[in-house]
Amino acid sequence: MARLEDIPQPTRDAVVAVPCPSFDTHPFVSGPPLRQRRVAIVTSAALIRRGDSPFPFGSAEARPIPAGPVGDLLISHVSINFDRSGFQRDANVVFPLDRLREMAADGEIGGVADTHHTVMGSTDPVGMQVAADQIAGQLRQERIDAVLLTPV
Amino acid sequence: MLETRGVPSVAIGAVRVQMEKTQPPRGLFVPFQLGRPLGEPEDAAFQRRVLRQALALLERTDGPVILEDFPDDPPGWLDTPAWTPPAMPARAAPDSPGAWRTAFAAELAALRPAWVRAGRRFGRTTVGLSGLPDDAWPDLAAHFLAGESPTVHAHDTAALALRFMCDDVKAFYGEAAQADGAAPASRQIDAWFWRQTVAGQLLIALRAAAAASDNNAVRTVGGRFLVPAPWLPA
Repeated sequence: MARLEDIPQPTRDAVVAVPCPSFDTHPFVSGPPLRQRRVAIVTSAALIRRGDSPFPFGSAEARPIPAGPVGDLLISHVSINFDRSGFQRDANVVFPLDRLREMAADGEIGGVADTHHTVMGSTDPVGMQVAADQIAGQLRQERIDAVLLTPV
Repeated sequence: MLETRGVPSVAIGAVRVQMEKTQPPRGLFVPFQLGRPLGEPEDAAFQRRVLRQALALLERTDGPVILEDFPDDPPGWLDTPAWTPPAMPARAAPDSPGAWRTAFAAELAALRPAWVRAGRRFGRTTVGLSGLPDDAWPDLAAHFLAGESPTVHAHDTAALALRFMCDDVKAFYGEAAQADGAAPASRQIDAWFWRQTVAGQLLIALRAAAAASDNNAVRTVGGRFLVPAPWLPA
């Protein structure tokens, strides 16, 4: 599913019509083999740790997610038009930190970031340049050379 | 946006048309439900296949735009015919805020053992956005149904308190529905919740009550952020 024909209406029309940014350039950064790279997750699920404030409506902020137990994470995304029952069973279906750790232990990737990042995906990306600067700055500081983007 | 800032990235995307429009440096289109970018909960092997195919795009050099398709549907997409929803008390349709409070409290109490089992099974709960214990929900809901905009300590506005209480209600029922046996497909949970539970009908009633509120934010939350469009009453 999420083949378009499987998304119930009127969500399907809304998904097709959602404005997508276009970019004048197509930057493409390469790097070393995967087994030497440190991977960070950036997710648009508006994840919070239990007890933290949920993302406010329309928030363009980025928040760090220090690597810790995935069981503490809650989705605070504003949208009600995506499934949450999978995340209820297993946070890795949105935030695959356990899987990345296994791949690092097996030598498939070089390592896993100490800090991951989250934004709220329904926010207009045009207003998220500051958030992108903040995330990129922290990624570079941590010498991350592979980012996995997971939407909800 | 990250690539411009010098960081290599790969995006998983569940809506192909959006990836075709945004043209990310590397994108893996996955035929999964919105909300499940790794495809299948509690299936580490499936999740690793998705991750391997996505991360492998980082080693490709034939950019600047690489889009690839993940080939397989997740197994949990199919209905589980053997699944049965948790047992719940018989009920009459509530016709007042007080009757809703009583019926909802009775249903929560009946579902609580299943929800507790789910917490043990999954090692956690995703209930918690509202900052309120579940035994406080029926009273808060009754206040909103009575046209009030109650204040709640954990949130700045009545609208947010309403929104996050409803998120917690959905999480409580979703977890209870998955407490035992083979997991249901998400649409089985949704059909049960919105068509067979007091809570589902309560959220629809809260939406109607919010529409008549003199609080703008409560009207907005009620109209857009409580009941998904496919489950609105005809």
